[in-house]
Amino acid sequence: MNDMWMNRLSEYLDGELDKSERTALEAHLATCGECYATLGELRQVVARAQALQDTPPATDLWAGIRGRMTESTPIAPRRDRHDRLVRRRFSLTAGQLLAASVALVLMSGGTVWLALHERPSNAPAPVAVRQPRIATVASWTGSTDAAIADLQATLDQNEKRLDSTTVRIVRQNLAIIDRAIADARIALQSDPGNAYLNLHLANTMRRKVELLRRVNSMAAARS
Amino acid sequence: MPRQVLEDILTADSIAADTALAASGDATAFERLYRTHVARVHTLVRRMLDADEADDVTQDVFIRAWQKLSTFRGESAFGTWLHRLAVNVVLARRKSVGVERGRFINEAEPLDNVSGKPVTPELSMDFEEALARLPEGARQVFVLHDVEGYHHEEIARMLGVVPGTSKSQLHHARMALRRHLDR
Repeated sequence: MNDMWMNRLSEYLDGELDKSERTALEAHLATCGECYATLGELRQVVARAQALQDTPPATDLWAGIRGRMTESTPIAPRRDRHDRLVRRRFSLTAGQLLAASVALVLMSGGTVWLALHERPSNAPAPVAVRQPRIATVASWTGSTDAAIADLQATLDQNEKRLDSTTVRIVRQNLAIIDRAIADARIALQSDPGNAYLNLHLANTMRRKVELLRRVNSMAAARS
Repeated sequence: MPRQVLEDILTADSIAADTALAASGDATAFERLYRTHVARVHTLVRRMLDADEADDVTQDVFIRAWQKLSTFRGESAFGTWLHRLAVNVVLARRKSVGVERGRFINEAEPLDNVSGKPVTPELSMDFEEALARLPEGARQVFVLHDVEGYHHEEIARMLGVVPGTSKSQLHHARMALRRHLDR
């Protein structure tokens, strides 16, 4: 074994040798089976390290954290939320916060929807729960669809009054909302009386109406 | 849009929203952040310190995050910020409890604990166990470099050593761990 080169194998592996050292080590590798084999093993160690998985703690630590949070509330003094967000120069703009809050609502809804519809086939069937009767989709979405169509038409006319960043963010979030609406409608086709899905669809459509109204107001204010 | 892409967008947006809400004092939003990130933080802490300290230090990390959320400006992802905070808490813990002995490899004995080829399956260790038995200094350099992706210069600054020491420790750790690749 050539200890000098053996001890430089990690640096070679990480690309930290200069050209002359690299050339010399490669020449050595061509003649030293032990260093060559060790280099291969070190490569595997690095690959193994990068493939290690995170695992949660064996016990839930939240209760202890929550208790200590009560003892040590955030160091910044509590202020009105809007005032506080503005004061501390948080990088999210008001528009991004609105979009994020929309996404948060959709995320929670989408996650539950996925959980409902991607249950493994061998999982135990859920316990039947009597759900309150609510109107089916067709009976209530018509007027909302019409309102959305009107608002969307108005936005199409007013969009040029908004700056490109706002337009981009609005389009991205409308696309997210549209996808959530489409998913909910698809799910409702096979389970039209599902209270959760109807509520989720109603909330999502309401969010779209609110977003369109707010953006139209912004555009009108700039006319 | 593919569902996974949509989910990724929604996840990132929901974390951003929860971060803003938690910074304004919303404990429920902070709990959601905890649940999203606890596995990552706990695993980092467990690998960097002894396993029996992991729960306590993980709690310290989240308390510290709660206290410092007002300093988070969103210049990086919340997860990145939290991860760096966790590393700092771990390193501060190391100093505060005076775990200086055995920090860096000066003798062969600690490495012998992990580098010997096990004779029987009963004596074998898996990769994580072997990592846990590395001397602290070598373990921390290995975790920071090969698992977490820090550069030697950053590691040297964090640990208060020169980059050459970081490189040397990394090589020793890798050489010891290669014996445990197939388990």
